[in-house]
Amino acid sequence: MPQGAVTVAPGLSSFLKSLKTTPVEPSVEHFISLLKRRQIRNSRPCAIAATALLLRVVGEFKGRDSAKLVERIRQVGKRLTSAQPREVVVGNIVRRVLGLVREVVEENVDVGTEATSDVGHNSQLQHDSLTRPMLASTISTFSPLKHASAEPTDSSLHQSEAMSDSGELSKRPPFLASHTSYAPASSAPLVNSLFGLFSHPDTPSTSSTPTGHQSPNGKGALTAVNLERLADFSKSNFDLKAEVMDGIRELQDELEQSDDLIAANALDHIHSNEIILTHTASRSVQKFLQAAARKRKFTVVHAETYPHDHTATHGILLTGKKRDEYGDDVDDMWKPLTAAGIQVVLIPDSHVFAIMSRVNKVILATHTVLANGGLVAAAGAHMIAKAAKVHQTPVVVVSGVYKLSPVYPFDIEELIEYGDAGSVVPYEDGDFVDKVDVENPLYDYVPADLVDLYITNLGGHAPSYLYRIVADHYRSEDINL
Amino acid sequence: MSHPPSGGAAQPPAAPTPDSASNPPSQSTGDAKNVNAPAAEGAPKLSAAELKKQKQAEKQARRAQAKASGGPPNQQKSPPPKDGQKPTKESKQGPKEDKSKALPVRGRPSQTNVPAPKDIKKEPKKEPKQIGLFFGHLYSQLRQHSMVGATKEVHPAVLALGLQYSSYVVCGSTARMVAMLLAFKAVIESYQTPVGTSLARHLTSHHLSPQIDYLRSCRPLSISMGNAIRWLKDVIIKIDPSTPEAEAKRDLLSEIDTFILQRITAADHLICDNAIDKIRPGDVILTYASSSVVEKLLLRAHKEGTPFSVIIVDSKPLFEGKRLARNLAQHGIKVKYALVTGAAHAVKDATKVLLGAHAMMSNGRLYSRVGTALISMLASSSSIPVIVLCESVKFTERVALDSIVGNEVAPSSELLSESERQALLPFKSCLPKSQSSSKGRDDGKGEKEEGEGEVIGWFEEEKNLQMLQVLYDVTPAEYINMVITEYGSLPPSSVPVVHRLSTNI
Repeated sequence: MPQGAVTVAPGLSSFLKSLKTTPVEPSVEHFISLLKRRQIRNSRPCAIAATALLLRVVGEFKGRDSAKLVERIRQVGKRLTSAQPREVVVGNIVRRVLGLVREVVEENVDVGTEATSDVGHNSQLQHDSLTRPMLASTISTFSPLKHASAEPTDSSLHQSEAMSDSGELSKRPPFLASHTSYAPASSAPLVNSLFGLFSHPDTPSTSSTPTGHQSPNGKGALTAVNLERLADFSKSNFDLKAEVMDGIRELQDELEQSDDLIAANALDHIHSNEIILTHTASRSVQKFLQAAARKRKFTVVHAETYPHDHTATHGILLTGKKRDEYGDDVDDMWKPLTAAGIQVVLIPDSHVFAIMSRVNKVILATHTVLANGGLVAAAGAHMIAKAAKVHQTPVVVVSGVYKLSPVYPFDIEELIEYGDAGSVVPYEDGDFVDKVDVENPLYDYVPADLVDLYITNLGGHAPSYLYRIVADHYRSEDINL
Repeated sequence: MSHPPSGGAAQPPAAPTPDSASNPPSQSTGDAKNVNAPAAEGAPKLSAAELKKQKQAEKQARRAQAKASGGPPNQQKSPPPKDGQKPTKESKQGPKEDKSKALPVRGRPSQTNVPAPKDIKKEPKKEPKQIGLFFGHLYSQLRQHSMVGATKEVHPAVLALGLQYSSYVVCGSTARMVAMLLAFKAVIESYQTPVGTSLARHLTSHHLSPQIDYLRSCRPLSISMGNAIRWLKDVIIKIDPSTPEAEAKRDLLSEIDTFILQRITAADHLICDNAIDKIRPGDVILTYASSSVVEKLLLRAHKEGTPFSVIIVDSKPLFEGKRLARNLAQHGIKVKYALVTGAAHAVKDATKVLLGAHAMMSNGRLYSRVGTALISMLASSSSIPVIVLCESVKFTERVALDSIVGNEVAPSSELLSESERQALLPFKSCLPKSQSSSKGRDDGKGEKEEGEGEVIGWFEEEKNLQMLQVLYDVTPAEYINMVITEYGSLPPSSVPVVHRLSTNI
C-alpha cells in the first residue's frame, strides 16, 4: 500500500533527529514552532522532546555559575510554556530540571559543609528548624489561592536571591517572621519553630509537624551557613553540568520506564473476569491492561472518543499502537490486547451510561494531573467518570508522575483546548458550518471527587494525596516559571 | 501403537508456527487461495456418512488426547479409526491441505493460529456466549436489509417502508408509527375479504400480521408502533361483522386518520402549548439528537419571538441532531452543535434540557436514544431542569431497570463511517502478523474491494474484538424533573397513571 509508506511529517522523531545536529537556539525555536503547530502533542511526546531539548540546553551551557544555569533553563522554559500553555507537561519537565539543578547545587554544598563537622552539626540543627516552615509554605502554595503563591514565600525568596547575589543573604533568616502572614493556618507549628530558631529544642518531636522527612525538600532548605558556602561555591571544582545532565538522563529513563512501572501494579487492581471500561488510545493504559492480561482474563470495553482520537483508538485496538508513534517507537513489537486473548468491545461514547451498570472498573488515561487531584483528560472523560460515580464504579486514573503538575486549576476553561470543528462537521457542509456554531472540545476536566485512585509509577495514591507527590517533585520556588 | 496419537497431538502445535512464521505475506495470499480452493471443493464431496465418520474421528482424537495425560492404556483404542480416516481425507483434499489441516483435527478451524492448542479447543465453545458482551440475548434476530424472504402477502407499501426502516430513512419513534399507520391504510384500502371469512377475523390475523412480521424483521417495532398496532387490532375486531366491507374499510381508514390526528398531531400541539412557557427569554436549551416534538416546540417559541439559543448534542453514527440543527438554524435560531464527548462542556452553558422520548416506562424511566441518559445525568448533577416531551401514545406498561435487558442492537458495521475507514487504512502495515497471515484468504478478497470494505473485515476477523452498537438507553427517573404530555405536565412517577387513563378511554 502506498499509504503504508512513512511520511516524514515533522514530529517528535524528526525533532529528536534534528536535535543531534542543530545548535541549541534553533532547536528551541524548532520545538516552539512544533508545539505551536501541534505537531508534537500529547503528554508523552512533549515530555520526551522537552527533556531532550533541555539536555542539549544544559550541555551547551557555558560557564559554571549555577545561578546563570537556572536562569537559562528558566528562560527557555518560559518560552516553551508560553508557546503551548496547555501542554502542561513541558512546564513540568522544566520545573523538574530546575529542581535538579538546585538539588545538585545543594548536595555539593552539603558535602562542603560536612567537611567541617562543627559547622555541619550546626547547620543540621538549623536545618531542622527551617524545614518546618518550608513544609508549611509548600502547603500554602497549593491552597486554592494559587496566586498567593506568586508572592515569594520565604524560602523562594532566599533561594532566588541566593542564586543571584548570594553573598549578602547571610543576614536574612530572621525574615521568617513574615511567613506567618502568608500561612496563618500553620501558625501553631510556626511558633514552635520560631522558638526553635533561638532556643534549639533538643527534640524536634514537640512540634506538630512530622520531622523525619529527608526528602529533597529537607535538603532544600538553604541555611545561612549553606548560603555562605554558596558564595565561594562556584570556585569549587565539581562538575555542575555533568551532574545535571546525568540527572536529566535519569529523567529520560523515568519517562521511558514509567509505563512499565505503572503496568507493574496492574495485577493488584484487575481481577479475573472483570469488565473494564476505558477510553481513547493511551499507551499507559494499554500497557497496564496488557500486563494484567498476561495473567488474567477479563473484558475490556473501549469507548472510542469520537471525533478526537477515534482513529488512534481504532488503531490501538487493531494493531496495539498509535499511528503517530509509528516509526519512532523502539518496541515496535506491540500487540493488541486481543492478541492476548482479551475480549475487547468497542463502543461509541454515547453508550457509556448504558454499559456502566455492568462495568466493574473504569480506567482512565490522562493528559495532565493537577495538584488538587483533578485531571485533564480526553473529552468524554468527565461523563465517563460521572457515570461511574453514579453507578458506584471505581475510577482508576493511570498516569506517569511526569504528568503530575503543580498547576492548580483556578480557571478550568484555561486548560481546555478546543480542536478542529471540521472533524465534527466537515467543512464541505458549508451551509451547516456557516450557520451553526460547531464545538469540538478536546479535553475534559475531571474533578478530584470523581476519581477513586491514581496509579503512577510510584504506586497507587488517593487523589487527596497528590499534592504531597507534587511537593516531592517540584521545588516551590519553581512553580511560577 | 501408542506412538501415533501422541505424535498427532504434538503435531498441531508445531505445525501452525512454521506456517505463520515462514510464509512471507506476499506468498500467503496466493498460497492461502490455493489452500482454500481445494478445501471448498473437498468439503461438498464428503458424503453425509463420511462427515459423520470424520466428526467421530475428531471426537475420538480429542478424547484420546485428553486421556493421553491421564493414562496410556486407553490410547490404544483411538488410533485405528483415525489412521483409517486420515488417508481418505488426504487423498481427496490434496497434499496442500495438510498444513491447514493441522488445526481442524481439534475442531473448527480458528482464525488465529498463534494460541496454544488448548485455547483452540475452548474457543469455539465460548464464541456464541461472548457475542455482544452481555447483549447476546438481543442478537437473536438479525436485521433484514432486503425484500428477500418476504411473504407474498406483504403489501408493496409495507415493503418500501420496511426498507426505509432498516436504512434509518424513516427514523424516530413518532415518524415510524405514523408511517406504519399510513402504510396500513394502503394495505386496508387494497384489502379484499376472502370468501367465507369476515373482515374482523381475517384482516388482523391473516393479512395484517405478515405485514407486521415483515416490518419487525426490518427493525424491531418501537413501543409506539406496538401501541398503535394493539389499538388497530382492537378497532378491527370490534367492527360489526354485519357491516358491508366497503363501509367497514372506510370506517377503518377514517379511524386511523383520527388516531394520527388525536394522538400525534393534536397531542404535539398540546404539548407545545404546555411547554411553551417553559422557554423563557434568554434561555439556553440543550437537546440531544433529534425529536420531532422538541423541534416543533423550539420553532414555535422562536416564532412567538422568545429570544433563546439552542445547544444540540449529537452522537455517532446516526447524527440525527445535524438535521435538527440545520433546520433550526435556517429559521434563524442560534444553534450550537457538539458531539456527546463534549457534553460536559455543553451542559455547563445550558439552562434547560429538553428531551424527546422513544418511550416512557411505567417505572418512570425514559427509554430514548442512546446517550440521553448521559445528558440527563450531567444536567441533573449541575441542577439544570430536565424536561421530557412525550406523547402519551409512547407510554408503555413495560418497566426497565437498565439498558441491557431490553434494547435494540444495530449492526456494528454502521459504527465506522467511510471517512473513519479511510483514516484507518494506513494502519494496514502495522496489523499484527498473526492476523494478516491467518486472514490470507480474505486478503485476496480485500485487494479487490480495496479500502473501506477491507477495514470492516479487519474488525470482523479479529475474534476478540467486536464493536457494539445499541440504539437506546434507559434514563433513571430521578434525573427527570418533568414529563410534558398532552394531558399536562407530570412527574415521571405519574407515567403509569396516565398510561392507564389514556388506554382506558
